[in-house]
Amino acid sequence: MVVVFGYTSDQKAIKVAKDQLKAHLLAVRLFRDQLPLVAGSYAKILRGTGRYLKLAFMPLLYVTIPITLLIVQLDRYLGSTAIQSRAPFLLTVRADGAEAMNALALDLPAEIAMTAPAVHVAAENEVVWRLAASRDGEYEIKVVAGGDNATKTLQVSSDPARVSAVRLKGHFWERLFTSGESALPASSVVESIAINYPERNIEIAGYEINWIVLFFVLSMIAGFLFKELLGIQI
Amino acid sequence: MTKSCGAGIPARPGPSDGACVCADRSVRATWFVLLAFLVLPSLANAYAGPGAGFAVLSSFWAIFVAFLYSFYALATWPFRQLFRFVRRRNAYGKAKFKRAVILGFDGMDPDLADRFMNEGRLPHLAKLRARGTFSKLRTTFPAISPVAWSTFMTGVNPGKHNIYDFLARDTSNYLPFLSSAEIKEPKRRLKIGRYSIPFGRTEIKGMRKGTPFWHWLGKAGIFSSVIRVPVTFPPEKFQGVLLSGMCVPDLKGSQGTFCLCTTRISNDKFREGGVRVPVERANGVCRSYIPGPESPLTEKAGSELRVAFEVRPDVGAKQARITVGAEKFTLKVGEYSSWIPVEFKAGLGFTAHGICRFYLKEIAPEVEVYVTPVNIDPGHPDLPISHPVTYSIYLAKLYGPYATLGLAEDTWALNEHVLDDDAFLAQAYSNHEDRERMLFDALDKTKQGLCTCVFDTTDRVQHMFWRYLEGDHPAARDVPHSQHPQVIQDLYQRMDRLIGRVMEKIDEGTLLMVISDHGFKSFARCLNLNAWLHQNGYLALKDGKTESGDWFQDVDWSRTRAYTMGLNGLYLNLKGREKQGIVNPAEAEGLKKELQQKLNGLADPASGAVGITGVFITDDVYRGPYTDNAPDLIVGYGAGYRASWDSVMGKVTAQIFEDNVKAWSGDHCIDPRLVPGVLFSSHKFVEEKPAIVDVAPTILQLFGLPLPTHFDGKAWELAAEAAASGD
Repeated sequence: MVVVFGYTSDQKAIKVAKDQLKAHLLAVRLFRDQLPLVAGSYAKILRGTGRYLKLAFMPLLYVTIPITLLIVQLDRYLGSTAIQSRAPFLLTVRADGAEAMNALALDLPAEIAMTAPAVHVAAENEVVWRLAASRDGEYEIKVVAGGDNATKTLQVSSDPARVSAVRLKGHFWERLFTSGESALPASSVVESIAINYPERNIEIAGYEINWIVLFFVLSMIAGFLFKELLGIQI
Repeated sequence: MTKSCGAGIPARPGPSDGACVCADRSVRATWFVLLAFLVLPSLANAYAGPGAGFAVLSSFWAIFVAFLYSFYALATWPFRQLFRFVRRRNAYGKAKFKRAVILGFDGMDPDLADRFMNEGRLPHLAKLRARGTFSKLRTTFPAISPVAWSTFMTGVNPGKHNIYDFLARDTSNYLPFLSSAEIKEPKRRLKIGRYSIPFGRTEIKGMRKGTPFWHWLGKAGIFSSVIRVPVTFPPEKFQGVLLSGMCVPDLKGSQGTFCLCTTRISNDKFREGGVRVPVERANGVCRSYIPGPESPLTEKAGSELRVAFEVRPDVGAKQARITVGAEKFTLKVGEYSSWIPVEFKAGLGFTAHGICRFYLKEIAPEVEVYVTPVNIDPGHPDLPISHPVTYSIYLAKLYGPYATLGLAEDTWALNEHVLDDDAFLAQAYSNHEDRERMLFDALDKTKQGLCTCVFDTTDRVQHMFWRYLEGDHPAARDVPHSQHPQVIQDLYQRMDRLIGRVMEKIDEGTLLMVISDHGFKSFARCLNLNAWLHQNGYLALKDGKTESGDWFQDVDWSRTRAYTMGLNGLYLNLKGREKQGIVNPAEAEGLKKELQQKLNGLADPASGAVGITGVFITDDVYRGPYTDNAPDLIVGYGAGYRASWDSVMGKVTAQIFEDNVKAWSGDHCIDPRLVPGVLFSSHKFVEEKPAIVDVAPTILQLFGLPLPTHFDGKAWELAAEAAASGD
């Protein structure tokens, strides 16, 4: 990404902008007894920051797209934990109408068992099942809706695994950012199938930290390291 | 030269390929990224580990810190201001001007200025002459820049500031050393294997004594911006900012060593100021190196650090691609690069940071690249070249890298025909433009107080181009007089335009002074005083020798009574002072008078002209605690004459007089009475014979400060005040 930034930015202009920012900062220190000069330097720092942001905007745009998709992908692995065996979890299926909702039923693999009766949320056209898996593995849960069938993968594991919390019909952008599965058939009466995978936190020095915070810190370090090694102005 | 590179930001002068290629690159990169997304959607999944993508956000960190610091500075500003107000509330109470601007034009000659003004070529100086003051400004004995500028800033004669020449002599071995500063390596070292690691700081000792007048201003709470005044290295602390000028060394520690990288095989060495470095050519690629400082990690001599570079000539396009470390640039033949950063790595993390410029002289049939002396990098100074240290960094960040070497205009390279006239002028005026930018920034930053800036260009250009001002100068005999370029006239006009722009920036409450430390005269004939001393029995050579090498090689000190080195000083070989001294102190006075009598009026047998118009016994012209370090006599050469190149370097030749055929064809190291400087001012002063030693007391008095009793100069009175008081 640092390389992409290097190639998509005006490196010379960024260096000049950064140097000028530093110069105005030094001016605040060098001429600190002269209020108009200090005020002028602040104004120049503001202008310089704006100029710098402007220069960084386009390359940031180029970098933002892959970064966003990357984070989505990473979130599949690191954002949630898989379902633990024998731990109950909820499967929520939304239908496209009340009639379809009433016709929803599950066809479960042998290792998955229903641990409570289904709950119908009429206002949302949703049915919620409480399930539990007896063994680790990747399973397909089949939702039967009249003549339609729709499936949803379920990850049961105590190790990190790529999970997809929801499978959607249509909703391209939502699917891009939240789902790791292909779209439900357009003709299906099922709008979505969701599993409430638990959120994952990483424990560091006794603190529970979201993976994205750690990612941010490590990326910063890597970024600083690589920008020096590659001689790229950021 | 200046190019704009996006977002309206002025880019620094760059190499020829330094234009904005970023636009093309961005378009290509855009297509690449978008195609990658469309065709290779799995790429994102293949991303390895916690990537560097977020690094872009890290750039905001600097801005965040900046604002944090700004907030702190702003929040505490009222308290600091109140404190300073209480301490210095009367700083400007008795000041006659809120600001004084002193422009030093090193070597500006009053006769030439007068001539060009009368010809209507210098309208702004003429305006100053009409409204304020124009006068000759008496200089120092001798009329040499470090001496005169030291007197300018301290208000005392050389006997009190200890600078008598660029060079001083070591009485223990008759060898020269730089008179203005001494740089000492740390004494303690830790030896580990092949390394000898220095402990402690490099000690830089300023040899100039006396207190610059801006220190007195600072103590009274008056701020000063001081740009490139000579002999301000090492910089001293005071209330203001200062960038050191003449006497700042290059990264090698010399006063400027250029480098000619060439495929031409030659065993010739440059007389001074430069080295020849071979270029190795293989498969169309030429490789050479820039010699740097000695490694700090060894005590052995000859452990020079080097930075390699590569030249790929493109003969058809008359250009070459040069690669130095991470820097890549293309130069056309006859073109300079911008300042290129170079790092000399010694190991164990010891790195010397420098900057230099490349000049492509030739690519076919031979390859020749001139490299300027490696200047101390102002943005990363390994030695302090400013006060505070951050000031040089501030200027570098604001305007880009700039020449920091004291004698930045490479006169030696022109003397040695490594640079031609045009290349030298391009270099000199490029440096000059940088200094103009610094001056105008200092003017903006110094609305009250003192702003002073010395421009060397006037001195260097007159030294090198005086030959074209005369019809028959030995150094220009091969150029028809009708083809002599008007270099010096152009120089004066350029300086006049600068004054015009400065005048636009100042109001009636500002005093503008334009001064020079000395004037200029022709240097057509060389006079080897050591040869005269030899032929007249004052200096003896070892048996069988008729000439000596540099620095008194083959001089028989046991029979030598007097010798000379440097530009104007003549020394007795005094018993008890010089290591091999033979002149009894009781005989010294008599010998000085004898030499004075014999040398005064010494005529050139070739023309009958007087080569020496005055010889001054220093006991008569210097007073102060450092007179023991002074030469015994100061030799004042006549107009057209100067100490020969060999004599300056302590060499005895067979000839006493000879033609000066070097490009260095004008000079001022002669009888000081013949080369006064100039004084222009925006306000009229009543003073018949102003001297450079008077500037410091005048400025202090104009700011309403008491004059230190040790000053030798006297303050000039403003004409308006004199009229009011009825004088």
